[in-house]
Amino acid sequence: MTNTPMMDRRQFVKVSALAGGGLLIGTYVRLGELAAAEPSAAAADFAPNAFITISSSGAISIIAPNSEMGQGIKTGLPMIVAEELDVAWEQVTVKQGDLNQAYGRQTSVGSQSTPSNFLPLRRAGATARAVLVQAAAETWGVPAGECTTEGGTVIHAASKRRAKYGELATKAASVTPPANVPLKDPKDFKLLGTRVAGVDNPKIVTGAPLFGIDVQLPGMVYATYTKCPVFGGKVASANIDAVKARPGVRDAFVLEGIEGLPSGVAIVADSTWNAFTATKALQVKWDEGAVVSQNSVEMAKQAEALAASTPAPALPDGAKAVKAVYHYPFLAHATLEPQNCTAVFKNGVMEMWAPSQIPAVAQGLVSKGLGLEPKNIVVHITRLGGGFGRRGSNEFSIEVAAIAKKLEGTPVKLMWPREYDFAHDNYRSNGWHYFTAGVDSAGKVVSLHDAFVKMQGGPGDMTASGFPFNAIPGSAVNSSKLPAGIPTGYWRAPGDNGNTWATQCFIDELAHAAGREPVAFTTDLLNGATSQNGFDAKRMLQVLKLATEKAGWGQQRPRGEGQGFAITRTNGAYVAIVADVAVSRDGALTIKKIVAAVDPGTIINLSAAEAQVQGAILDGISAAWFQKLTIERGAAAQTMLRINDSPRLMEVHFVKSVAPPTGLGEPGLPAAAPAVCNAIFAATGKRIRTLPIASENLKWS
Amino acid sequence: MSRYSLSVNGRTHSVDVAPDTPMLWVLRDALGLVGTKYGCGIGECGACTIHLDGTPARACQTDVSTVGRKSVTTIEGLDPAGKHPLQKAWCELDVPQCGYCQAGQLMSAAALLKSKPSPTDADIDRAMGGNLCRCASYFRIRAGIKRAAEIASGHTPAGGGDSK
Repeated sequence: MTNTPMMDRRQFVKVSALAGGGLLIGTYVRLGELAAAEPSAAAADFAPNAFITISSSGAISIIAPNSEMGQGIKTGLPMIVAEELDVAWEQVTVKQGDLNQAYGRQTSVGSQSTPSNFLPLRRAGATARAVLVQAAAETWGVPAGECTTEGGTVIHAASKRRAKYGELATKAASVTPPANVPLKDPKDFKLLGTRVAGVDNPKIVTGAPLFGIDVQLPGMVYATYTKCPVFGGKVASANIDAVKARPGVRDAFVLEGIEGLPSGVAIVADSTWNAFTATKALQVKWDEGAVVSQNSVEMAKQAEALAASTPAPALPDGAKAVKAVYHYPFLAHATLEPQNCTAVFKNGVMEMWAPSQIPAVAQGLVSKGLGLEPKNIVVHITRLGGGFGRRGSNEFSIEVAAIAKKLEGTPVKLMWPREYDFAHDNYRSNGWHYFTAGVDSAGKVVSLHDAFVKMQGGPGDMTASGFPFNAIPGSAVNSSKLPAGIPTGYWRAPGDNGNTWATQCFIDELAHAAGREPVAFTTDLLNGATSQNGFDAKRMLQVLKLATEKAGWGQQRPRGEGQGFAITRTNGAYVAIVADVAVSRDGALTIKKIVAAVDPGTIINLSAAEAQVQGAILDGISAAWFQKLTIERGAAAQTMLRINDSPRLMEVHFVKSVAPPTGLGEPGLPAAAPAVCNAIFAATGKRIRTLPIASENLKWS
Repeated sequence: MSRYSLSVNGRTHSVDVAPDTPMLWVLRDALGLVGTKYGCGIGECGACTIHLDGTPARACQTDVSTVGRKSVTTIEGLDPAGKHPLQKAWCELDVPQCGYCQAGQLMSAAALLKSKPSPTDADIDRAMGGNLCRCASYFRIRAGIKRAAEIASGHTPAGGGDSK
């Protein structure tokens, strides 16, 4: 990484002129002021913006700005550029971008990478294409309007002239780009909506280095960082000298007083194994501080008291009360790649290799904690061995940077042992829903109240704006918070991952209490739903109809088998899921088939879209079926869904749409668990109101 | 520290490490073969699966001192050109999501195909149950193994599905 600006003042003016508006203006104005990430473009190359470089030899390279963690974004975002640039995918080389404000929003959370980048990247591609067309038109002395493009070639049909983009690159670099270039009509998309395999697949299948944990630098040392098992605790004393005497240990020291870095012990060794074994020999006396030790039993009592403090209002006259309490536990993220980060501090510059979902937060933490200017913190984005929200919090960045600063000149790879990964997560908050509903004699829901309790801090609060609250006049959610202490954070589909399970199971209860067929009952509710927060009941009805039709909803099944469904609008996408389960007499659960219908608007990459929905559904089922993180220390290992627990059959049906794209990393998840739990009820008559399912007795006779 | 001579992917390497060092860290840190991944360190996730004399083993549970003259194969040695039927099938069907577990999945699947060239779903469940995929790419792993079996048998119709 050098700090040579790619663009001079002239180009900056040119580039800002081509910005069609919106995010691009902001992006490119900053581009003029900052270094671009890829200073390799030669003078004769055409680099119309930070994302595209076309060399005179014909090589077309497109930057992938966001972090790849399996959601397909390293392939999907460059596809958007390639579509408007009008090049064949085979012609494109994708390069992972470093953290750079020129790339706009490099934040890979909330399924927002695709929707937030869709228009800016289309404009980037379309403007580059327009300049290439202009270059060809000027060369040939023909009107640009008579030229077309196809597969990286400009064509003037009347004179039968053709020029490849590479041949036009030098000329294009001197063309003033037009403003407000029109974008393609979605019906003319050639690449978007097709199946494109992930750009890193060849490296993945041959074991080439890609991930944060794979970073290797000459002279690199390996570090662990041990923090207090009790959140907020500090090192009182540690057997540092004994640790230093362990084989392969280069250094060991206490770090404290650094903003954003919890007090702890760093151990530096010549291999990961020596760092790990020395860490096992580490004995620390902790000052556990004022944080009250919390435990699950106490939290449940507190939740009950909090819920009782916000009671449901009196039911309308003549209504029958339906009450139920739903509870879901803490969850760890358990990314398969444990947290890690690599850094070297040299000549006042901290250079980092971070498997981070929000690399700007990594930079910010290091800047604040170590007093370095952001421009002196270079962040390379590696591939992430899973994210699920875990790698947004970036504490590994300040941990490794603090160690690297102390060992100036020596590259350091920080590796969290797996047990640290479980013990120091920002967990999915536990939650309780105390529901009270009123059903009148006609089977209509006339009131719905939810006394909702979760941990203080972290995401996942809810209001009465989503379905089904927006379909039941006068319904209310009262949120209460348990005292802060256990760190909670973003876990795939925050809030929805637990709240949708509770509300969609309770709606199924209400249908049965009302004596109604569940799909008809939900359909009636949707027909009366308001459009709060952009909720489009028609799109929801469409996916519900599609999923239930494809799943053969309503067919009679023998005892011990059943179907259930659930719906969600998550991150703007509409999803309906139907689950088919079988429960043996002795209580063994088999998920036989899952059918999902999804309306995510425009689909970028059909292969990745399908994979994300499949994976999110199984993630939701895995969490609900098996996973529970008790906060008592040491019992942190979570069971997880394996291939033999996977349903053999899963269908994912997408609604064809030219609506703006949503992301798809999360929307598939929330409705999966309630669909399964409702199917278990249909099969056995047993209602799952506490997760995980594996802790419940499903025996029937 | 002790010196060990190891045969890895057909080449002999000499390493000087503690006898209890798991092969996982010998491969990754001493030999720079980082394709074999650290997931759990207790043999539960399968991300570190390698072959010892052709038999799948968890590298995190294999101390270097126990390897002796056994021939070690890692993902880097499965087929460096990426032409193993499983590697072809994995790319054709776009199996990986985050990709972190896939080296282990491929090594387990390669051993399965050697013993059962046309595995059933039950065979796949048995052989692959020890390999976790946190992204749950299990449908495509299953399809990928079946597709690789087809490729290996010389049967190469367009795989349908996910090829680009």
